[in-house]
Amino acid sequence: MKAIDIQDAIGMVDPQLIRRADEPAPTKVKEIPARRTTRRLRWTAAVAAVLVLAVSLGALLGGFGKQPPVTPDAPGDVSTSVDGEDTQHTTTTTKKPGILDNLFPGLTAKAETLAEAEYPEMAPYPNERELGFDKKYDAWQADKDKQAAYRGAGAGLTGFFRDSTATFLSGAGTANRAYSPLNVYMALAMLAEIADGSSRQQVLDLLGADSLAALRQQAHAVWNANYSDDGAEISVLASSLWLNEGVDFNKDTLDVLADNYYASSYRGEMGSDGFNKAMQKWLNEQTGGLLKEQVDGITTDPNTVMTLLTTLYYRAKWTNWFSADKTTSDTFHGAAGDLTCSFMNRTESWGTYYWGDRFSASSLALEGQGRMWFVLPDEGVSVDQLLADDQAMGFLLANGDWENQKSLKVNFKVPRFDMQSKLDLKQGLQSLGVTECFDQAKADFTALTTTEAWLDKVQHGVRVAIDEEGVTAAAYTEMTLCGSAMPPEDEIDFVLDRPFLFVITGADDLPLFIGVVNQP
Amino acid sequence: MEDNRIVELYHQRDEAALQATREKYGHYLYAIAYGILQDAGGAEECVNDTYLCAWQQMPPQQPRVLSAFLGTVTRRLALDRYRQQHAEKRGGGVAAVSLAELEECVPTGATVYDGVECRELAAAISAFLHTLPREECDVFLRRYWYMDSISAIAQRNHCSQGRIRILLMRTRQKLCKHLQQEGMME
Repeated sequence: MKAIDIQDAIGMVDPQLIRRADEPAPTKVKEIPARRTTRRLRWTAAVAAVLVLAVSLGALLGGFGKQPPVTPDAPGDVSTSVDGEDTQHTTTTTKKPGILDNLFPGLTAKAETLAEAEYPEMAPYPNERELGFDKKYDAWQADKDKQAAYRGAGAGLTGFFRDSTATFLSGAGTANRAYSPLNVYMALAMLAEIADGSSRQQVLDLLGADSLAALRQQAHAVWNANYSDDGAEISVLASSLWLNEGVDFNKDTLDVLADNYYASSYRGEMGSDGFNKAMQKWLNEQTGGLLKEQVDGITTDPNTVMTLLTTLYYRAKWTNWFSADKTTSDTFHGAAGDLTCSFMNRTESWGTYYWGDRFSASSLALEGQGRMWFVLPDEGVSVDQLLADDQAMGFLLANGDWENQKSLKVNFKVPRFDMQSKLDLKQGLQSLGVTECFDQAKADFTALTTTEAWLDKVQHGVRVAIDEEGVTAAAYTEMTLCGSAMPPEDEIDFVLDRPFLFVITGADDLPLFIGVVNQP
Repeated sequence: MEDNRIVELYHQRDEAALQATREKYGHYLYAIAYGILQDAGGAEECVNDTYLCAWQQMPPQQPRVLSAFLGTVTRRLALDRYRQQHAEKRGGGVAAVSLAELEECVPTGATVYDGVECRELAAAISAFLHTLPREECDVFLRRYWYMDSISAIAQRNHCSQGRIRILLMRTRQKLCKHLQQEGMME
């Protein structure tokens, strides 16, 4: 008897069992993303998404010169300073001694750690070929279960996601544009922490939070629900505050940001080349260098009180790869005219096709729990029209929970693309009701500093690329078909050869990235 | 159309049976064949051959579960085609990988009996599958009957790929033990 005999015999088992196995799975078990350390090296073209949100507080700082730096207010405070040339150190206690050495080796600027975030420990995904895999797997799963307990916290964010997506993505014209709802949410939540009074209230209102405490709890849960760094799947929301060494800051607030938002705080000489480089290096480290070009343009000036940076880095492969030899060259009817591009082709035998009054949609699974959704406006309907369409926006954030859907064979034809987008969110945030933070006369950031400060700029950059193996996406933000018709019975060609929308959802089904592709 | 009505049409030698089969199970059969072959043209041919086999076998056959009957034919045709295509070298794809996994059920060093009939083996495996919890049984059949990929099964069951791998590994170990107990090998 050989294995092939068993394979043949399995083909003849009780037909009732075979039929039952083809029915939908009876129960939904815990959703735990899969990770494999052994695959890490093969991830060069996996799905990756990065967003950097940089928020700068401006102030009239002329005259204060070199004021005394923040004094650690109690033993145990985190305070380490590093100077690449004069090696001045003022260390009390640090949770991770030497981390700045790793972050900024050779930089001549002083960068001092005021608060260091500690990410949750996560057991690495074990090597499946090693002895003791079971036990290691159980340890890994226990850690994943802890993270899974946070899921669902972002359920109340649909309103913010819908309004902000329509605001920030509309009006792209003929350009590509992308936005990371989850990353901007995290930056705004931290903005609420450092603001006070009605400045804070406007941010709470936009995020639909009843109180700062409720927002803090929600943001903490959202961060954890989306966090994974076990060597096989990476999904990390990272944050840091870069503070002017001449300004007095509230250490308690920095600690709250470190403990609840996993945001580290650094202090140095604003506007100095070394400090800018340290900041850029941190950004490049968090984003895998995907946004290097844009990151190089992020700098501070001596009048900057603080720059808040948040990044979202997500990377995964398609569950089923596109075969490179099936990629064809064809015409994409772009917003600015026809262009020739490479189309990846794949058939999903058990795909799901969705439709609305003015669009059709389908999705492709990513390893782990991620998914990429493609929304194609009907012929004659523009992307902007969909962004203003309640039904279409509802679909974008529904994560497949949609009445008009059908399982059938879907023949995907998807353009390969690598898009970058840079947005100034200032005007959009103001139109969404966050006005006081930008108003020099009204802005209240007393939760962070007694120095007069206001929100100067909010820049947001995104990069998303997909190929046969997966999607690569990066982003930063700097605050300095078928319409209503039923689909065919068995099979449909889903051809993305004109401007379309996409959404990348993560472990908690929340939208990590949403974008418009006008020119692949 | 109800399955018993379709079977009735076959027995009446009414060609409407073929059309009804195509409409109801064409997509299902194609998915089985494509899962094994990863080739659209080959899968289409297997499905068409399945209709021919069904026409030839009914009557006298009176399948209890029409979908499983048809699926079994498609699976066999697709596997035959696959093995023919990969006779000289070890092939890729889910069929080859699942076969390699099943080799764990016939451990190195075990004395196996070559004379075991396929039907006897199938009966032993059926009996074993009936002892399993539903999820474990379904996952095993999705992998080794339908030849689904691990990722597809994980998606279907809303869980991680690692969990599916563990489940399958444990099921294979239990099957190996069961076959030994049944005297298929020792």
